Amino acid sequence: MPDGSFSHPQQRQFNPYTENGGTILAIAGKDFSVIAGDTRQSEGYSIQTRYAPKVFRLTDRAVLAVNGFAADGNMFVKKVQQRLEWYRHAHAKDMPLGAIARLIQTMLYGRRFFPYYVYNILGGIEEDGTGAVYSFDPVGSYEREACRAAGAAQSLVQPFLDNQIYFKNQQAPAGQSHPLHLPLSDVLAIVIDSFTSATERHIEVGDGLEIYVVLTKGRPTQDLEGYRGVKELTTRPDGDRVFLIQRELKKD
Amino acid sequence: MSIMQHNGGSVIAMVGKDCVAIASDLRLGVQSLSISSNFEKIFPVTERLYVGFPGLATDVTTLREVFRYRVNMYTIKEERAIEPTIFTQLVSSTLYERRFGPYFIEPVIAGLQKTPSGSYEPFIAATDLIGCINFAKDFVVAGTASEKLFGVAEGLWEPGLEPEDLFETISQTLMNAVDRDAFSGWGAIVHVITKDKVITRKLKGRMD
Repeated sequence: MPDGSFSHPQQRQFNPYTENGGTILAIAGKDFSVIAGDTRQSEGYSIQTRYAPKVFRLTDRAVLAVNGFAADGNMFVKKVQQRLEWYRHAHAKDMPLGAIARLIQTMLYGRRFFPYYVYNILGGIEEDGTGAVYSFDPVGSYEREACRAAGAAQSLVQPFLDNQIYFKNQQAPAGQSHPLHLPLSDVLAIVIDSFTSATERHIEVGDGLEIYVVLTKGRPTQDLEGYRGVKELTTRPDGDRVFLIQRELKKD
Repeated sequence: MSIMQHNGGSVIAMVGKDCVAIASDLRLGVQSLSISSNFEKIFPVTERLYVGFPGLATDVTTLREVFRYRVNMYTIKEERAIEPTIFTQLVSSTLYERRFGPYFIEPVIAGLQKTPSGSYEPFIAATDLIGCINFAKDFVVAGTASEKLFGVAEGLWEPGLEPEDLFETISQTLMNAVDRDAFSGWGAIVHVITKDKVITRKLKGRMD
């Protein structure tokens, strides 16, 4: 009985983690990077909100997508942004992408024994102007890749990306080889298809889609012009540029 | 891990234009240990009807014999070949007989259904392990790679595929899905069923 006596053994438990669903995805191109996430936030079978961003602009050349336990995700992004601000004050420039990736690793591993319950995908432009994607596990193990999906629908999306981005199980025409990098318009089409597919078959994915596009300095923007409501989020002129495309996904 | 994942394996079926396709991997394993790369899970029922049994391997063998017996009995009694819709009901009721001690199999059915006018129309269906039927108009999946199969199929499939295009679509879907599944793979087999012939092909894919 909860009377403070010691006659009955008692147990109490507090679980500090939950899963909030959703899916994120990033693809690197030759001179651009695309980072996307849906905006549904759920707990079990309940939708908490139809608009909770999971993708964040860190600098004009770096975008971070965070998926898993939303509270940890938001806190982690806040701490990364704080560290990037300190870096700006100390060095009078934005932290390069590869350095942000290493920073994220140390920040995640710093919580090795009480981890941020989040999968991170960092996308953006490297110092040499190439598009890059870095993916992390919750304790900071990371890798640079051409594409990565994470979250509730990872198992639905990743094999599709293997096929469409890496051309897995596809044979190139005789005398030709598969392209290492796809054009931006193809990448955007694949991202949108991935999310509409995931929305169709996964209950935790849907509502809205936010696609961040990071373009390397001086790259033409004509491939973006076909999309409705493209917003530019770049803060400084004459550098890498960040754009946001917002779309609707099915809400059922 | 549950009994459904014990031996591994996956099956998928898709509808095309006047044709259907059914495909599976060829792996048989015990947990993470692979035993055979030539374990077929798809069986012909009639000339235009195939059934796939992903799940517990021992039940694959048992159910294959159970349905061979029951289909033969039907054919003798009715003096005609069993149609896909009827066979689906047979599968459903046979599995539900074991409602409280089920066979650990999730059958996938693909065939061409005869219409009153004498033509054939594509038919696919799947059931769970106790016989609840899912009549789908596009594709059905089952087995250890089912989530991956859903994701890829949803992205690649489109209505009205001709037999050769359907073959490519189902093969790509299956191979890319099983390559992300530790319990499926080790080669694949594809059957494309058309009005006048069945095209069967074995695929190699990644053998790891």
